Parts: sequence; structure tokens; C-alpha cells
Amino acid sequence: MSGSQTDDVPKGPTSPARRVRRRRRVDYAGYLYIAPAILLVVVFFVVPLVMTAWMSLHNWPLIGRIRWIGFGNYIALWNDQRFWHALGFTVYYTVWATIGLLAVGLALALFVEKPRPGIGFYRTAYFLPVVVGFASASLLWAWLSNVDSGLFSPVAQWLGLTAAPYNLLADFDAAFWSVTIMVIWKVSGFYMIILMSGLQAIPTDFYEAARIDGANYRQRFLHITLPLIRRSLVLALILSVTGSMLAFDQFYIILAGGPQNQTLTAVYWIFNQSFVSFRLGYGSALSMVLLAILLVLSLVQLQFLQSREDRR
Amino acid sequence: MTETASAVRSIRRRHPWRIQLAMHAASILVAAIFLAPLVWTVLVTFKSKAEAGLPPLPPWPVGGWSIENYRTLENFGAGLIHHTLNSLIVASATAALTIVVSTLAGYGFSRFRFPMKGAFFVVILAAMMVPFQSILTPLFLILSRLHLYNTLTGLVLIYVTLQLPFSVFMMRNAFDSVPHEIAEAARIDGARGLKLLVIVLGPLVLPGIASVGLIAFLNAWNEFLGALIFLSEQDKYTLPVLMTAVRSGRFGAIDWGAVQAGVAVMMLPCLALFLVLQRYYIRGLTAGAVK
Amino acid sequence: MKRLTLLAAVTAAALASAAPALADSFTLWVRADGSTFMPKIVDAFNASHQTKAELQIVPNAELVPKYAVAAASGNAPDALSLDLIYTPSFAAAGQLEDMTDLAKSLPYYASLSQAHLSVGTFEGHIYGVPFSADSSVLIWNKDLFKQAGLDPEKGPTTWAEIRADAEKVKKLGPDIYGYYFSGNCGGCNIFTFTPLIWASGGDIFSADGKTAKLDSPQMRDAVAFYQSMVKDGLVPAGSRTDTGSNFFAAFATGKIGIAPSGAFAIGALNTQYPNLHYGVTFLPGKTGGWSSFAGGDNFVVTKGTKKLALIKEFLEFAYSLPGQTLLAKYGSLPIRSDIAKEALAGLDSRYLVAAEAMAKGKTPYSVVFNDLINSANGPWNTTLNKVFFADAAAIEPALKECDATMQSIIDAAK
Repeated sequence: MSGSQTDDVPKGPTSPARRVRRRRRVDYAGYLYIAPAILLVVVFFVVPLVMTAWMSLHNWPLIGRIRWIGFGNYIALWNDQRFWHALGFTVYYTVWATIGLLAVGLALALFVEKPRPGIGFYRTAYFLPVVVGFASASLLWAWLSNVDSGLFSPVAQWLGLTAAPYNLLADFDAAFWSVTIMVIWKVSGFYMIILMSGLQAIPTDFYEAARIDGANYRQRFLHITLPLIRRSLVLALILSVTGSMLAFDQFYIILAGGPQNQTLTAVYWIFNQSFVSFRLGYGSALSMVLLAILLVLSLVQLQFLQSREDRR
Repeated sequence: MTETASAVRSIRRRHPWRIQLAMHAASILVAAIFLAPLVWTVLVTFKSKAEAGLPPLPPWPVGGWSIENYRTLENFGAGLIHHTLNSLIVASATAALTIVVSTLAGYGFSRFRFPMKGAFFVVILAAMMVPFQSILTPLFLILSRLHLYNTLTGLVLIYVTLQLPFSVFMMRNAFDSVPHEIAEAARIDGARGLKLLVIVLGPLVLPGIASVGLIAFLNAWNEFLGALIFLSEQDKYTLPVLMTAVRSGRFGAIDWGAVQAGVAVMMLPCLALFLVLQRYYIRGLTAGAVK
Repeated sequence: MKRLTLLAAVTAAALASAAPALADSFTLWVRADGSTFMPKIVDAFNASHQTKAELQIVPNAELVPKYAVAAASGNAPDALSLDLIYTPSFAAAGQLEDMTDLAKSLPYYASLSQAHLSVGTFEGHIYGVPFSADSSVLIWNKDLFKQAGLDPEKGPTTWAEIRADAEKVKKLGPDIYGYYFSGNCGGCNIFTFTPLIWASGGDIFSADGKTAKLDSPQMRDAVAFYQSMVKDGLVPAGSRTDTGSNFFAAFATGKIGIAPSGAFAIGALNTQYPNLHYGVTFLPGKTGGWSSFAGGDNFVVTKGTKKLALIKEFLEFAYSLPGQTLLAKYGSLPIRSDIAKEALAGLDSRYLVAAEAMAKGKTPYSVVFNDLINSANGPWNTTLNKVFFADAAAIEPALKECDATMQSIIDAAK
């Protein structure tokens, strides 16, 4: 990454002299600076997490008597078809949402990367939906998709796409894509910025050189652009995968898990078990399993990033 | 600088005005797609009650402008203004505290070497991977043990914790991208510790601070479940809690007009704040993400 | 540093606003559906008594989780006006104070709503007493009936009549429909669909709530009845995804001929849609007869509260004639049958139909009611949503499967 602003920060293996200098600088004052963050994370994340693990070993109704059952919840979970189905759907959604977000995000980033008149306005316009909360955006979409009072059905009818009012949320495919498109509309601006920062770090001479060598646009994109924005891409990938695996609001507000529970996500199922069925112990066990899955997924993705970097 | 200039020139050179025009047309079309739902919603809120239940074609009110829908919101809870103030307090405090805590931590992680540094960093990032819904009950028990149940303070502390993975990550990268030479030079001039952080480095990571603060504000402004569970008095409820009441309505009947007005009230401050801070925000996100 | 000072100030402000607890007061929660009458009763009570009730209104869907989480840390309110179907599960969890003596000491105990008391009873003890009431009824649009050439004063009394009337109304125009129901709302359908089954002689649970009996001939008939109306376009497309938000609103648009609804709709229609002319009748069985779902709130008391005497004072006020009149005026049916007519005097006479339905109303009994019925993702709702909008062949297998799922949930809770 010669010429980029990151040059001054040593990363990975560096010259021996530098390593020695860095090692000498062990400074316990660092603890003071991270202390407030660590304190908050311990009190409001680590401790609750340990309590969750503890609860997962109990039959723990929201109200009533609590009973130790060891790994009973985990055994029940293993046989819980509906949880595995919800997890399967979550993965399905994650794959499509991630593809959509990265593709649209990258397309937008390429579109607005270079300065030209009015570019500030376009960037802002594409980014604005990011600023709206997920719950607000979901409510808005629930209204737009509503067959009686919304916008999409009458517009489709007006354009002649459907003959009668079409209930967008009644069938799995239409409902799924309606929600996924909402997510892409709302979040792709965020990925646009992340990927744009990667694109802007690529020195222009690379392209000039390739152009002189006679590479066409497709070749330049595949052999220069993509490899050089890998770091941004992996960051976007991790954010998108983690975010999508934890999806809840949009399916809760727009579809209530319907049609016929086909869009129940993993977190939705955890929420249902904990706050509809009041099986807190079981909900905790589900959370622990989901956490483990997410950790593994992230480690795999980070590994991917790391190994590619070492190879450079 | 010269690079950008030459890039602009090269674009100009290769793109005659016809192509430029086409590019603008395409850009505007895409912008329209992204902005349409927002504009639509805001326009629809000014319809009358009867009109609000009908399909929004056209989006603007046909039978005269009305603020009926906003009036309806007044009937929920302790009134719109009251809950908006609560939300403002919570969101601002969350943003302020997130900035302080994550700037300190980002500085610590970026500029110091100490044992277990990697492990601490991972612990902070791990908070991103647990669904908030699943630690709700333990959090509740902890808050009541700390006598922070039903206080806005407790809510703020939890929101800040939820913000930390992203914010600390961003701030560490922001400090990483400040050239070491600057810190070294300042150190030679006698600036150390907090003084170095606030006076010398602070201005350099301002874009990072702006983006971390803005995101914290937006998330706290929009969060609903925690606000509902951790507060017990209606007077303390934030706007999103009010919105669920609006959504579930009387006898479950939905008043689309009131919902749209609520969404607009939730949305507009966020849009305004973003437009004010966007210059910093996009730069901060860029600097933080590129690493 | 300035930020810290600001934060400290904000913190102090937040702490200072904590409400002081009064000695002669008790705390009371109600779900949002009760927000029409409960504040009026509380205000009237507080104005005339030394004792004060401190009321908090909680969104419907969040009442139970919020209460339970609060109870876990000792912050539960002293009393709670609770959707009556939850009383068995709260009582089974050991969360409630035994109110048997209090209830039986009331001179008008015998005329309190039996449906409320039966779900308020767990293992022979009374844990919940009636507070507010709502019964399910059938409403029809008199204007549309007149336009369609039907007798606007005569509502349907059998399923065949519902269908015939709906067909005639549908012919009035493309955006006018004969019938409406919320097709993706478990709560709406237990309230208005089960009475069709009860009135035909069937049921969905055994009396003790321990056996699911979904796959019965009456149930199959009732599903087929709804299914055929959907298939023939008598029901709007939006019904299929309506999670209850249109339950009341659809009829109120004036474009629906007939809809099952509740007593609450009378007050709501009269105040919000004074120009809509409608009639109220009973939910009929297949070939006649009628039934109703007795809904509303039970009043329960958190176990271990020291405010029982104050709460009794409040209940006695709510049960008195002025209390019942106030309740009736603001949207709940009276829960004392002996003074129901007096309490309803001067109000819309259509309330009398609803009150009669209430007196004969039923309430299913289950400790896992929420899991089975109300949850959007429970077996009741998902099955109905599937079969209402499928074809005839789908009915039996779906009901059998639903039966099995329900039974497994019931058994798991034992």
C-alpha cells in the first residue's frame, strides 16, 4: 500500500530495529486509558453474559420457581426443529442481504468515488437512509407494503404489473424480498462509504499504468480494484454478516415472523422463547449457542483477512 | 492534491458533456429512489385523518394541509414534547459519554503497549456479537442492584456499553492514522498523557469523534426495548416507547397517520443532525474504516 | 471535562425526578386497552378517598414481560389489571396473592362475571377478580345492507345467512367487501372465531385446558366456511397479513358489510365514526344458536403486598353502581350482572346485546394461553393463517398437526 496514509504505522512484521523500540515501550499507563471502557463492558456485558450462561443451566421461567437442570436446555435445543429452522432462515437472509449490501454498496462507491460537480449531494442522498433508525424504517416499510393503505400495491396496479391489489407480505418470496430490499435501501449507503474509503486509497498511477498496458475496464476492476480494497471489503463483510445474523427488528415489525413463521430469525426465536413463552433459561441457552456461532464466523473471516495480509 | 486535480482533469477529458449529462441523470434517478420513501412519509403526515388511511397517491394532501396527525401524538403518554426531551437527554448523554470513554480507550489501545492488550480489545469487540435481547434480564437485575433501575442514568450507561465495540474500534484506528512523528514532536515539547491527548491529538481525530458521537446519538435516539424494560414510569419514557403505544393503538387499530407523524418526529432530528455533521462524519468513517 | 460536568448535571436531574411514594397509596398497572376507563376510575377514586391509587399504563404487548421482569427484582406494582386469559399462568407461577376470602366477602359475589372468575381460579383458589369486560359480537353495516336490498334491521343468524348477505353486499362495488376478519391475528380469532365453533357445539380445549381438541368436525366446518368466503373474494386481500391493526379499522371505513367484533367497537364507532350506521347481534352457530368470548381484565394482586386493605377499598369503589356506570360510560361492559342494566341505562341500547352475550360468554382456560393462542408465532395463529387462505384439502392435515403441536406445548408446561 505504498503512498497511502497508513505508511507510518507499523503493521505485521517490521524491521528488527523497530520491533526492539516498540517492545521497550511497555507502558502500564495504557490501563488507565482503557479502564472506563473495560469497567463498563465488564459490568454491563461480561457479568450479564456470565449470568446468561448460568441461567442457561436452569429451568428459569420469567415468573415462578427456578430449577437446576444442568445441560437439559442444550439437549432440548439440539432437538428443537424450530430453532434450527430459524437459524437456517437467518443464514439464508444473511447470504442474500450480504450479497445485496456489498454489491449495491460497491456499485454506489464506484459511482461516487471520483469528485465531480454535485457529488457531495449524491453521496449525502445515498447515505441519508442510514441515519433513520431501524425501527422507524421498518414501520415506514410496513406502511408502504400494506396492501390497503400503502404505496407499492397501488403503484404496481397503476403500472399494470398486477391486475388486482397484490398483498406483498402474504407470500414468502415477496415478503422476504420486500424486507431485504428495505435493508439494502437503508444500509447500503453505509457500505458505500466504507468501500469508497478503500477505493480512494488506491493510487491513480496504478490505473494509469494498467491503462498504458492496455487493460480494459473489467480487467482493471478485477486485478487492481478488488485486490486493493480487500481490507475494506472484509470489514464490510464482517459488519454485514454479524448484523444480519442478529436481524430482528425488521422481521418483527414488518412481518411478525410471517407468513406462517417462515421469516422467524434466530434472535426472534430467542426473543419469543424468553418473552413470549417466558422460558428464560432456554432462551439463554439459545443465546449462548448463537454467540458461539457468531464468534466462529468472525474468527474465520478475520483469519481470512490475516492470512491474506501475511502473504503480502 | 495534485492527484485529485489530475483525476478530475482526466475525467473531464474522457467524458464529453453528453456522457456527463447521462451520469447526472443516472445519479439523480438513484438519489430519487433513495430519498423517495423519506419525502413521501413527511408529506403524508400532513394529510387529514380520513385521507391518511388511503393509498398515498399523490403523497401530498389533496384535501388541504393539516397537522391533525401530530396533534394525535399529543394524546399519548405525557405528550410529545416531554418524551422528545427525555430522548434528547438520553441520546446527548450517551453521545457525550461514548465520546469520552471511547476516545480514552482508543488512545490507550493505539499508543500504549501493555500485557493482555489484545485480549481486552477482543472482549470489547465481542459485545457486538451478543444479541442485546438475550442479556436483558441479567441487565435488569444488575441495574436494580446498582439502584439505577428506572433512571435515565442507567439507560445511558447501558447504551454507552452497547456503543463501545464500534466506537473503540473506530477511535483506535483514528489514533493509528495520526503520524507518530506528530506525537513524538509534541512529546519533545513536553506534552504528555491527557494533555497530549486533548490538546495535540484531539483536534486530529475530530472526525472520528464526530462519527462516534453521531452514531451513539442516533442509536440511543432510536432504541426501544431497553428503554421500555429499564424504565418504569411513564414520565421517563423515551420517544420510541411512545411510538409502540402509537403503533399498537387502541384495540390494536393502527392509525397510519399518527404512525407516519411519529416516524417523521423520530426521523427529522436524525437527518438534521447528520446534515450538520456530515462533513466530519464521512471523513471520520473513512479514516476509521480504511485500516 | 465539560462533558463530564454536563453528564453529572443530567444524572442529577434524572435522579431528582424519582417519584416519592405515598404512605396511603398503592401502585396499579393496566394495559393500554384500559386507557379509556382506568384513568377515569382512578381519578374518581382518588378524588373521593383518602387512599390514592398510582396508575401506570403499559403498552399491551409489553405488560407481561415488563411485569415479570419487575417482579424478579421486587419492583412489581401492588396490583395489576391483567388480560384475564393470563390469570392461570400467573397464578400457576405462584406470583399472585390468594383473593378467595376477599372475593367471597363481597355481598354481590354471586353476580360477578362467572367467566372471569373461572379463569381467575387456580386449584380451587381465586387469584383474579373481574375488573373490565368485553364480549365478542357480530356487527353489520346498515347502509350497505340497505343498498344491497337487504333488511338493514336484521343481522344474520346462521353461517349461511352471513354468506348470503356478504355476497349481496360484495356486488355493490369493487372496493366494497362482504366480510372482514384479521387473518393473521391469534388474539382476534380466539375472540371472534371460536364462538362460531362453540355455538355449533364444538370446542378447542378440554374444560381443564389440558387436552387440545382442535381437529373436530365443528372446527373443520368453521374453517371451511371462512375459507370459502376468502376464495370467492368476499374478504379483502389485506386480511391475510392483518396482525390485528385493521381488526377494528376495516369495518370503520364503511366498506365492509359484516365483521365479527367486540363490545368495545360500539363506543369506538359512536365517538369516532358517528355517521356509520351499524347493527349488533350475536355470533351465530352453523345452523343457529349463538355464543361469545368473555374477554376483559382480571384484577390481580402481587403476592406479599402490604396494601391489600387499600386495594379492597379501590375494588369496592369500582364494583359500586357509580363505579360500574363510569366503567360502562368509558368503554367496558359492567361485570356485575345484578346492576348491569342500571349501569348501562342511558347508553346506546346496542350495549344490551353485548351485555347479554357477556353473561353467557366463555373463556378458554390454559396456563400456556399465550404460547398456544396469542403469540403471532404460536400454533393457533399460524395454522389459521394457513388454512383460511388455502384449499379444502389442506384443512384436515393442518388441524391435526396443530392439535399435536398444541398438545406438545401443553405437556411441556406440566
